[in-house]
Amino acid sequence: MDTLVSKYANSASSASFDDADNLGQNMAGWDAASQFALPAFDIPMVANPVDFLRAHTDASAENRIRIQHGTTTLAFKFQGGIIVAVDSRASGGSYIGTVSLSISFTTSQTVKKVIEINPYLLGTMAGGAADCQYWERELGRRCRLYELRNKERISVAAASKILSNMVYDYKGMGLSMGTMITGWDKSGPQLFYVDSDGTRMRGERFSVGSGSTFAYGVLDTGYDFNLSIPDALELGRRAIYHATHRDAYSGGSVNVFHVKETGWVFHGNFDVNDLHWEYQAQPKGPIV
Amino acid sequence: MAGSYDRALTVFSPDGHLFQVDYALEAVRKGSCAVGVRGADVVVLGVEKKSVLKLQDERTVKKICMLDEHVCLAFAGLSADARVLINKARIECQSHRLTVEDSVSIEYITRYIAGVQQSGGVRPFGISTLIMGFDSDKVPKLYQTDPSGVYSAWKANSIGRSSKTVREFLEKNYKEDMDKAESIKLAIRSLLEVVQTGAKNIEIAIMGSDSVIQRLELAEIEAVVAEIEAENEKEKEKSKSSNSQQ
Amino acid sequence: METLFGITGKDFVITAYDSKAVASITLMKIGENKSRELNPHTLMLFSGEPGDGVHFSEYIERNIKLYGIRNGIELSPRAVASFARRELADSLRSRKPYSVNLLIAGFDVKTNKPSLYWLDHLASLADVPFAAHGYGAYYCLSLLDRYHREDITEEEGIKLLQKCVGELRTRMILNMPDFVAKIVNKDGIRLVQL
Repeated sequence: MDTLVSKYANSASSASFDDADNLGQNMAGWDAASQFALPAFDIPMVANPVDFLRAHTDASAENRIRIQHGTTTLAFKFQGGIIVAVDSRASGGSYIGTVSLSISFTTSQTVKKVIEINPYLLGTMAGGAADCQYWERELGRRCRLYELRNKERISVAAASKILSNMVYDYKGMGLSMGTMITGWDKSGPQLFYVDSDGTRMRGERFSVGSGSTFAYGVLDTGYDFNLSIPDALELGRRAIYHATHRDAYSGGSVNVFHVKETGWVFHGNFDVNDLHWEYQAQPKGPIV
Repeated sequence: MAGSYDRALTVFSPDGHLFQVDYALEAVRKGSCAVGVRGADVVVLGVEKKSVLKLQDERTVKKICMLDEHVCLAFAGLSADARVLINKARIECQSHRLTVEDSVSIEYITRYIAGVQQSGGVRPFGISTLIMGFDSDKVPKLYQTDPSGVYSAWKANSIGRSSKTVREFLEKNYKEDMDKAESIKLAIRSLLEVVQTGAKNIEIAIMGSDSVIQRLELAEIEAVVAEIEAENEKEKEKSKSSNSQQ
Repeated sequence: METLFGITGKDFVITAYDSKAVASITLMKIGENKSRELNPHTLMLFSGEPGDGVHFSEYIERNIKLYGIRNGIELSPRAVASFARRELADSLRSRKPYSVNLLIAGFDVKTNKPSLYWLDHLASLADVPFAAHGYGAYYCLSLLDRYHREDITEEEGIKLLQKCVGELRTRMILNMPDFVAKIVNKDGIRLVQL
């Protein structure tokens, strides 16, 4: 906090404009209100984290680390709150993991891509699985501290802003994260998109991940703010199913959540294979 | 008398006192009086203004300051210490908005100020503060901090010179759910307990649930003072006449 | 593909930004706010690297607000622009520079004059009668050269902006659906319908 004080004091007065490193270092100082800036996160002990990451994750590198990439996630607001739906396939490299066939590197069809930050906050996961998991758990810790200190739950706006500030400090260092933070606070249901570029925006309807374009296609055409809760849950599930059908890097099963005033509720895990035959058997109905 | 226990803030006296804090409280007791009154949907801060010297510019002496658009602070004690503290609080307000988008809650900034007063190793700030404002819930808030780092919420309170007299007056005259005019009147009446020179030495700031601060002009304060004096007169007459009837 | 516009007139500045938020090929949102009110009479518009715009402009905004609350007087648009330029220039020479293009529109209540400042991501600052950032600049600067006068009225300003947006809609490969326009004048900052 002291660094921020001096930073602010400097920049608002004309005192020390010659401090060239001012702004670059300041990024860490952004996480300012002393309450939120507990630990200082370090940069790995390598000369250049970006080069390091590239050397170990490139397709050509030996002993390479395969970052899990493919995903379809979506979330939308409607009259009954917010629906969050995601697939569950984690794919590293160019293989797709299957339940029965476990290849030498870890891939899975049962990844939890919705991170339950607390009973009122959900975060989705797209991009680097480790990045999302790590930062959203760190966010959960900070949210809990906020709650203990301020005797009230953190707003979704504040939580998403904290996450955005944290990952923005690491901009350009290879973090890969595209997430939606949803929840219900004093001002009602809230939905934010946050990514590792530092983008953060409030919205009504988002889809993130390699299959997002396919999910958007179904979601946008079937969306109506006045959907009933069962219809909204079905729309979310269906949009993810169609995305998994077209996007090789998405698949496994669909997890559906509903965010309500009383917190989020899990609405089940559906194997996309079962869904496929179920939807195949159904007539497609008229186009409206 | 105090032995060497008053040399450092970090050293307790054998009977459990921190003398530096006690001395800081003494500095507060010497400071001009400030009151805060919470009404139904309004908060009022009032301070006793020292008369400025003939050649002094009045505008440079301010005892009620804004910390953010929705938070206002009055203090009693060393003005120089207050300036430093207020500066830190103002930075924290903006910094809070930058990190979590929302503005600070009144309790948050009070706790922050109390925390700064507590920070170790240096002498305590020789000021007590009254902090008023509104959170997003539109309920008026009034907090007090003192040099020891303690903070507490109040319906009405006073700090500084003769604060005990004023507090007792407030305790006797405070009513629940006062409207704006009543709250202002109570603040001024309580101040008049210790301010002999009347309206020209009183400064009043009011905040409504729209979080907009309003400072009373001298004429407006004079009008309230006149009203109070008239009431007091009437009161006196009444007691006189009832006395003579007996 | 972000576009920002600013046009000064007799006693006002009119600004506009396209309100699209894009992530690779997907339009994530329409109605994203690409401006920040730095003080009652100064507005900053930003475009550039995702994330940088919001973080930089909010950082400037909070510092300007802090100045206002500390001193009880607001910085003039010129001072705000100089401050922003300096912060951007310092960042440019740091390990992690901000990559943002800015327009700062303000009304100086002391001199009663509108002003518009153009700032690019290399922190060069120019005081200009009209300005544009992004691809829109390639189409509209000539158009503004052709039609802009120093003494245009607010109605004319809005019309001129409509011409600019119209041109983008006819010639740009990507459609520019929603521009948000804001006017800064002696009464402060307000939204206008294009």
